[in-house]
Amino acid sequence: MAIRDWPIKRKLTAILLLISGLVLVLTSAAFVTYQVVTFRQTMRNNLATRAQILAANSTAALAFANEADAREILAALKADPHMVAAALYGQDGHVVATYPARPPADLLPPTPQPDGYRFEHGYLVGFAPVAQGANQRLGTLYIASDTKAVADALRLSGIIAIVVLAIAMLAAYAMAAALQGRISEPILALAQTATAASTRQDYSVRAPKFGADELGTLTDAFNQMLGRIEEQKKELQQHAMKLEQRVAERTAELERRAVELQAANSELDAFAYSVSHDLRAPLRSIDGFSQVLLEDYGAQLDEAGRDSLQRVRAATQRMATLIDDLLKLARVSRAEMRTERVDLSGMARDVVADIQRTTPDRQVEFAIAPGLEAEGDARLLRVVLDNLLRNGWKYTGKQPQPRVEFTAVDENGDRVFVIKDNGAGFDMKYANKLFGVFQRLHSTAEFEGTGVGLATVRRIINRHGGRIWAEGVVDQGATFYFTL
Amino acid sequence: MAFLTAAALTSALLLVQSPRASEYQVKAVFLFNFAQFVDWRSTPAQDPRAPLIIGILGDDPFGTILDATVRGEHLGERPFEIRRLRQMRDIEACNILFISRSENERVEQILAAVQNRPVLTVSDGDDFAERGGMIQFVNDKNRIRLRINLEAAQAANLAISSKLLRVAEIVSTPKH
Repeated sequence: MAIRDWPIKRKLTAILLLISGLVLVLTSAAFVTYQVVTFRQTMRNNLATRAQILAANSTAALAFANEADAREILAALKADPHMVAAALYGQDGHVVATYPARPPADLLPPTPQPDGYRFEHGYLVGFAPVAQGANQRLGTLYIASDTKAVADALRLSGIIAIVVLAIAMLAAYAMAAALQGRISEPILALAQTATAASTRQDYSVRAPKFGADELGTLTDAFNQMLGRIEEQKKELQQHAMKLEQRVAERTAELERRAVELQAANSELDAFAYSVSHDLRAPLRSIDGFSQVLLEDYGAQLDEAGRDSLQRVRAATQRMATLIDDLLKLARVSRAEMRTERVDLSGMARDVVADIQRTTPDRQVEFAIAPGLEAEGDARLLRVVLDNLLRNGWKYTGKQPQPRVEFTAVDENGDRVFVIKDNGAGFDMKYANKLFGVFQRLHSTAEFEGTGVGLATVRRIINRHGGRIWAEGVVDQGATFYFTL
Repeated sequence: MAFLTAAALTSALLLVQSPRASEYQVKAVFLFNFAQFVDWRSTPAQDPRAPLIIGILGDDPFGTILDATVRGEHLGERPFEIRRLRQMRDIEACNILFISRSENERVEQILAAVQNRPVLTVSDGDDFAERGGMIQFVNDKNRIRLRINLEAAQAANLAISSKLLRVAEIVSTPKH
């Protein structure tokens, strides 16, 4: 794991240990160095002192050539195992006495060397003058000490340093482990709280505060933030609840109204249907008897009587058409919808063929775009196309070059079907009346019609969930748009 | 100075081949060295540059050796002076008095003459120390050993260094 990914606890402990370790190592190194340097100095001083004492004691032995005494004086070195060799040289440089009796040859210089003390080949050796007071020199004292004491001191210092280092590091670790919590705990608590808040979306949690330092400030700020988020969340929830409630209320109301409307509509449809149905029987009687009257008694009537009867019959037939249309409208509302893929282009061509078959004397140009399709009830859509195309055919009756188009455009991702003619058109201020039942913008004398067709069309479009609207200019044609 | 002495010593050794001469060679050095281990300072104030006088009473066995040994040497600022004495009255001026074997018969008389005076008496005569002399040279297996009569030295108010005493045999005058 990379150091930067370590937990903050470990980082703090590591930093504290690193610093204290560094300090301790440097201190220990200084301690050991100081110990060794001091020890060497002390050792040299001690050897010098010892040499001077020995030299002072050996003056008489040298002055009066007493080798036994000289040996005896040197033999005092026995007490110190580090003293490996010593010798007394006479005035002329010959060896008078040695310690031990036969010292190793490499430890006994054959002649005295310059006075002084020096570390040589792992030994501390020294040469000191032997003189009585300020008088003439009687000879030279040689003394050699091994440096095991230095090594021992070094080893002892090293061991002490290592032990101190180990204890201090342990103590530092314990202290670091105990003290790092003061910094890491508030941070960990913050991190835990933050995690709890973000994972459980629980903004009611609060980070515990440990002190008034920067971490305390951070904790306070964090807690305040949580508090604000909590409040806002509550407000938001309240708003949402209110909104839901309102939507539910509205929906309920709308549903209620829809049901009411549905009921009213059904009632109305049923009423219209029964009325229309019931109206047909007497109408048939009127038409039938008018015909009987005209055929059987026509000769007995004068011209005015026959004309009146003719008018009765025309009105009756007109009323029958009206009733048929109304029944169709009612049926449109009541019929079951069977949705399927419908080829509108083909359907339009059928309608056109039908129109041209029944009225071969009129030449109207129909332009039908190929491949127009839609989802819907084929029977009802046929009614739509029939009505709109026949409208186009009908209202172009006074045009020298009548033309009706059936196309489609895509508008905002919706397919909009367009049926356009160059006929009588209409004034846009009556656009909202176009699709009302029995609403007519032209007189029957001008253009035939019951005023039910477009109402039927709109009802079908509505049942498909679509929209229908129209644009027009007087004498310049009308355009009908619908979606499904 | 040590070098010069060593050189003088060597030349003396070369000059005098006989064992006897070698013996007095050593004795001359010892005489000279005594000055360093004996303290005359208890005697009344004197000129710090006054010469330290080594007197030889009787036949001189040293020849030129003693003169060569002390030549150019000083004790502090005091130079050494060798005097060969003929008369008893001259002995009081000495700091160190070497009594030759030739005077063996009248040692007591000589010692009586310097009794209680700060004169270090030295001799290689028989039983010199027991007879009241201060330092006696004794030949021991070709080596020269010292015998010291500490009482005699103390009586003369001379302080002999304990270091000198270390290398010597202490004797005392037998009580009668």
